[in-house]
Amino acid sequence: MAELDRDHTAEVEIDTRYDPAGVPIVTVAGELDVSNAATLQATVASIVAKRPERLIFSLGDLHYMDSAGIAVLLGAADKVNAVHLRDPSPVVRRVIELTGLAGVLSIES
Amino acid sequence: MDLDTRNGSSGGTSNMTAVHEDSGPAPEAGASVELGSTLAGSLGRWRPPSIALVAGLLLTAALALTALAVYNRNERRVLNLRVRELSLVVQSTAPSIQTPLASAAALADATGGSPQHFRSFMAPYVGRGRQFTSVSLWPVSTPRGRPTAVLGTAPQLASTPARAAQFLGRANRPGVMNVTGFLSSAHPSIGFAYRVPGHTRGFAVYAENPLPANRRSTLERNSAFSDLKYALYLGHSRRTSDVLVTSEKRLPLTGRQATSVVPFGAGAFTVVVAPRGSLGGTFFKDLPWIIAIAGVLVTLAAVLMTDRLARRRQQAERLAGVLDRVAAENRRMYTEQRSISQSLQHALLPEIMPELNGLRVNARYVPAATGVDVGGDWYDLVAVDDRRVLLVIGDVSGHGLRAATTMALLRHATLAYVTQDCSPATVLAKLSDFVNSGPHDYFATVLCALIDVDRHQLTMASAGHLAPLVLNGGGGEFARVQPDAPIGVTPGSRYHEATVSVPPEAVVVAFTDGLVERRGEVIDVGLDRLRSLAMRHKLPVDDLLTELARDLTSEDHYDDAAMVGIQWQN
Repeated sequence: MAELDRDHTAEVEIDTRYDPAGVPIVTVAGELDVSNAATLQATVASIVAKRPERLIFSLGDLHYMDSAGIAVLLGAADKVNAVHLRDPSPVVRRVIELTGLAGVLSIES
Repeated sequence: MDLDTRNGSSGGTSNMTAVHEDSGPAPEAGASVELGSTLAGSLGRWRPPSIALVAGLLLTAALALTALAVYNRNERRVLNLRVRELSLVVQSTAPSIQTPLASAAALADATGGSPQHFRSFMAPYVGRGRQFTSVSLWPVSTPRGRPTAVLGTAPQLASTPARAAQFLGRANRPGVMNVTGFLSSAHPSIGFAYRVPGHTRGFAVYAENPLPANRRSTLERNSAFSDLKYALYLGHSRRTSDVLVTSEKRLPLTGRQATSVVPFGAGAFTVVVAPRGSLGGTFFKDLPWIIAIAGVLVTLAAVLMTDRLARRRQQAERLAGVLDRVAAENRRMYTEQRSISQSLQHALLPEIMPELNGLRVNARYVPAATGVDVGGDWYDLVAVDDRRVLLVIGDVSGHGLRAATTMALLRHATLAYVTQDCSPATVLAKLSDFVNSGPHDYFATVLCALIDVDRHQLTMASAGHLAPLVLNGGGGEFARVQPDAPIGVTPGSRYHEATVSVPPEAVVVAFTDGLVERRGEVIDVGLDRLRSLAMRHKLPVDDLLTELARDLTSEDHYDDAAMVGIQWQN
């Protein structure tokens, strides 16, 4: 999990919206890794500061996530009661499953 | 131009030498090399502009000379044409002079030299504004040499009887106009005489016209020949004393000129012309100069540009040299740092593996192909008692010194817990409580497996870690163990334990995700790759790990990978 490729900068797009019920939905697209996880971390920090009941990460277009990305999601799960991962791609879904995190980060399809 | 040639700011490839020599061992040797290369460099620095200058000037000179040669040849040709034209014009006046004289001579012969008939015939030709100034009738046979009839002014020929006798007598060719001149006289004149052939006692008709006092007569401006200077000489002479008429104050004509001899009756004129300006037009006259000036300007511009380019190239080369050095230094530092990282990593991992009868164990740590960070992967094998060994393999999220120190902390904490209770689930639970007892911003996946050598059993618990691969002869499966959340994610985590039996002579390979994870593919693909690769080899576990490390960590693999292999032996 110790990703060392610092020269590589993955492309990630982060977009935050709120559904009618006021639940924040953070859409993460592209590749999330150690080179850009801090961007998502900043977004997540500003959202959890408002203490929402739930937080949804929409991951339909996220094609890669390393341990740094997982750490951000886990950090959010630590502060918010319910963190959901919406539509994660198989790449991301299997990492969540194999690391035993499905109980912490609930996956919704 | 460039005085700053010290410090290797001279150019060419020699500059590179200077740069390399800078780091040379002996300062004196370095200085002399620099001086030498500076000298060579400043010469090299001038070479391209000098070549441009010489080439430009040569080309300019060649073009200008060619233009000049073409111009000169053209001018000569035109001038030759013009002198011929002028000759024809001069020649064409001969019949208009000869015809009336010939008619009058014939009339005189027919009338026995009647002055009356002569006068009445010639009267229309003589006088102010007419063709002749003076016309006279001369009996050829009389030795006295005096005219029998004169119209207009008195002929000068009459004042020189001897000359008259000679001109009209022996020297006079009958049937054609003869020409003579009084060029040294106060009133210079030209005379024409005609005598009918066949009559030995016949008459000669003589006409005389004055020449301009100073022999000068400029052609009218709109004349076809106004662009020429000319001089018309009597006979074949070109002596200034023989000139009849000219456009110039001073003779002879100088410069480019053309000459033509014009037959005129029994005699001849010599026409000499010279151009006033350029016959082919001023543009062609100026063309060589235009080419020369433009060529020199273009050459100078080219020299300046070449000089600038040469300077830029020099700067670029100097910069490249500096960058080369910086890059080399970076490479050196990188290699050094990387080797420090790897040494540190190895220092944090166990050196000696426990030895148990019937069990062969080995481990590999493969650092990422790039980067200088220490990874967070670790492994341990702890002999619990004579027949059991606890395998621990883990991976701390993040990288660098922080991940490495966290890894060291977790590793030693784990070793401490193992001495209290070797149950994998208990070890992981204690580790989780330990990590969650304080603030932390990392998590770690850990696999604990208690190996019972005699029972051929593995009792495992996984904190989010990938299950080990169990190889059995030709087959291979990942051990079934349900992963719980990684260490440090949820406080109070408890872990499931699973016990699996392995066949005799089985090989178990535990590993971290760096061995199987590839960007852009589902992790199962990497797991399958590992499984099929491992199944192909029926090697001792040491060789198997070497093969896997070689085949699964390519040159661009970006994550550290750790492997522990266990082989049951009879």
